[in-house]
Amino acid sequence: MSERRKVIIVPCSGIGKSFGTVSRMAAYQVTEDDRPDKTQLIPLALLVLGDDEACEALENNPAITIDGCQLACATKMVRESGGKIAREMAVLDLYKRHRDLRPQGITQLNEGGQKLAVVLAEEVDIAVDELTQGGNENA
Amino acid sequence: MTEFLETQVDKFTFRVAKDRKYSSFGIWALLKGNAVQIGLSDFLQQTSGDIAFADVQPVGTLLKVGESCADIETIKVDLEILSPLTGKIIRVNPLMESVPETINQDPYSDGWLCEIEPSNWANDWENLLDPGAYFTQMKRQAEEESKK
Repeated sequence: MSERRKVIIVPCSGIGKSFGTVSRMAAYQVTEDDRPDKTQLIPLALLVLGDDEACEALENNPAITIDGCQLACATKMVRESGGKIAREMAVLDLYKRHRDLRPQGITQLNEGGQKLAVVLAEEVDIAVDELTQGGNENA
Repeated sequence: MTEFLETQVDKFTFRVAKDRKYSSFGIWALLKGNAVQIGLSDFLQQTSGDIAFADVQPVGTLLKVGESCADIETIKVDLEILSPLTGKIIRVNPLMESVPETINQDPYSDGWLCEIEPSNWANDWENLLDPGAYFTQMKRQAEEESKK
């Protein structure tokens, strides 16, 4: 019997950047609290290192990337690793729709940043549900 | 076609367009017919980060040199953009409201902020830095930043 497919979540790795921290907080919420059975978190660092297990997971499952800035490292790295990106999300795009939730702070996000992470996680949850219910796996 | 002065500092490449002048803060000014178009230099946009919002003063606003003509919010900082010339705003780039990140993508062309009808252009022009002088200042700033 084949293992049930999971949605791979790849957030920004921008340590020391507020928008990157928002992406990681949202990814943690989705993979640890909201949809732990349906998702798997893969840190960008493993892809940069070419980790075999991480690359294999990407080959066999749809991925949602969450980028912190326009460099879009998460999206680019997943593509380079041969992954299939089902959804591309960007904290900056979300912030443009929620200007009152400005993320600030690095080690400790401010209230706006924490709320933005929750809103982002909810959007990722919806995307995960769509994908696990047979939604379009192409971004 | 616009020509550029270019320098690489650390992993970053910065360009300075040679067909316009600059304030020391990094705002360029380019005469276009009877108006002067202004925008952010490549160095200023790169060091400021991805732009989320650009609120430009509306058409009709009268400005003196050094007065605020726009507020820009990036993922890193809030920037108050000071006018490099005296005059009246006669056109605002419509992309600033919908896709302000155009400044990051194309700072010297599509990413312009607004056009100002100058009222003291000859004098203001004299007080701005030519591309070579701005390039030297910008390069020094970039090198200092890279050492931090």
